[in-house]
Amino acid sequence: MVSKNASVGTQTLRVTPALLKDLRMLRVAVFHPDDADGAQLVQQLQRIGCQVQAFWPPLPQLPEGVELVFLAVRPDIIALDFAWCSGENSPALVAVVAYENPTIVEAVLRIGAKAILPAPVRSFGLLSALVLARQLNGQIGTQAKRIVKLELKLAGQRNVLEATRILSVSRGISDDAAFDLIRNQAMAKRVTKEEIATAIVNANDVLNFAR
Amino acid sequence: MALTDPIKIGVLFSETGVTSAIGRSQMQGTLLAVHEINDAGGIDGRELVPVYADPASDPSRYAALAERMIARDHVNTIFGCYMSSSRKAVIPVIEKWNKLLFYPTLYEGFEFSNNVIYTGAAPNQNSVQLAEFMTDNFGARVYLVGSDYIYPYESNRIMADLVLQHADSAKLGEAYVRLDASEQDFAPIIADIKSRQPDFIFSTVVGDATARFYRMYAQAGLDPRTMPIASLTTSEAEIAQMGAAASAGHFTSAPYFQAIDSELNRQCLARYRHHFGDHSTPNLCWESAYFQVHLYANAFRQAGDDALDTLLPHLLGSEFSAPQGRVKIDPANHHTWLYPRVGRVDAQGQFAIVREAKRAVQPDPYLVTHSLGDWTGRLERLEV
Repeated sequence: MVSKNASVGTQTLRVTPALLKDLRMLRVAVFHPDDADGAQLVQQLQRIGCQVQAFWPPLPQLPEGVELVFLAVRPDIIALDFAWCSGENSPALVAVVAYENPTIVEAVLRIGAKAILPAPVRSFGLLSALVLARQLNGQIGTQAKRIVKLELKLAGQRNVLEATRILSVSRGISDDAAFDLIRNQAMAKRVTKEEIATAIVNANDVLNFAR
Repeated sequence: MALTDPIKIGVLFSETGVTSAIGRSQMQGTLLAVHEINDAGGIDGRELVPVYADPASDPSRYAALAERMIARDHVNTIFGCYMSSSRKAVIPVIEKWNKLLFYPTLYEGFEFSNNVIYTGAAPNQNSVQLAEFMTDNFGARVYLVGSDYIYPYESNRIMADLVLQHADSAKLGEAYVRLDASEQDFAPIIADIKSRQPDFIFSTVVGDATARFYRMYAQAGLDPRTMPIASLTTSEAEIAQMGAAASAGHFTSAPYFQAIDSELNRQCLARYRHHFGDHSTPNLCWESAYFQVHLYANAFRQAGDDALDTLLPHLLGSEFSAPQGRVKIDPANHHTWLYPRVGRVDAQGQFAIVREAKRAVQPDPYLVTHSLGDWTGRLERLEV
């Protein structure tokens, strides 16, 4: 067999994605009526090797350790709100849909589904939907944490600037010298510059109170 | 199969259960067409033989009976279904066996299956026209009432979208009742309507509950001249259930009313009464159920068979002079070009047609945002 990349000297090492490797440990909740589609869904998840629990109607709280939820978005439940589908550590959600009209699509968007599985459920396509939903959910979770960190950092830097100004004025030193003072304090106390800066700004507020 | 063998077709309408009034009429419309075709010598000499079953308004029964008709009775084509839930239950069966379903009911759109022909109205063939008429004549403050399932949800979304395009518009309420809703279920809704005084009520209540809702409205002393009920599903069949007194003055938008003033319609109704008497009440779904069998028979004559892949090329794009006018199956989306109309119920329980499309309107089942004033949907003024 002739490889298309025969001319390329280097070999790429193909690593199986972790999302596929941990399928066997994956705890899945299936919220679907006990009908042909529900059975097909559970059986295919079991073939893949996931740990499956199935319920209908949907539970208000998820069983312990569930990382992925399949939810039948049926006309009779679209008005319901589930606490587990919004929130910081919500599991990846795959919507199982039999209708494609705007009413149902809107419900799918509202509950924050990360993938769609059309009904009637077929075994083919389920694995891809499952992995895609988990990847998206993971990425969104990571990004949300990163955004929180960056926002804190940004707010902290504003404080560092403010603290530098307070020090340079009160001690009659240059901005550079004031900044060095903050940095040295942070190193000595083994905390971040931002924390020292926040302490200075807060102290300044207190000292200037009602002046 | 010999060229003289009868041709079996599946007929799957509910003769019992909450939607049986319409189901029976759809069954009768189907049988009238079968009767006409067989009277005229069948399909190239072959008799059309319906295989019936009563799914009793239960979606899972629809699926099981459709499968039985295909597997046991060897039908290639099924005529049937009313509520979306029944259609959704049958489609997987039809697709699995690669058979054909003719669906003679208005519905919420957003669907296409290569194995389905849709002969009822899509929302761009009834909702837009109704919104236009009601807002022009009564105002744009609407109260929405519906049965608790997908068709009313989606119809109400479309109606609210349309009405709220008007200045001084408002959605004063949106209430849903169960399919077998009783007087008690409607009482608080009627009270709320009375206190909020909308310009009109949009009802997507279906089945037997329709009669209860209109009767409760009448008993509450509300006046259709100032606050009428507008509907897409309240047909002559529901009016027969509730009586003319409870329904007079209210409005329905549909491609067919018994009152259509044409020789073809009058003859069709006369033939129906001659063969079937007063067994059921002709209405929009009856008419779709009737003309779709003729479309099928004409395509069969050309194809020589009703295996899906053989029949479909002859069916798509085909036309028929139906009681509502000359209809055509759209080859691209399998829905039907129809003639939107608006009717007001008169004292005899018939519709006086007040608006009428002069040309067939193309079905657009995937239209998300409907627009008031769209000239393609504009209707001719007949009276009022």
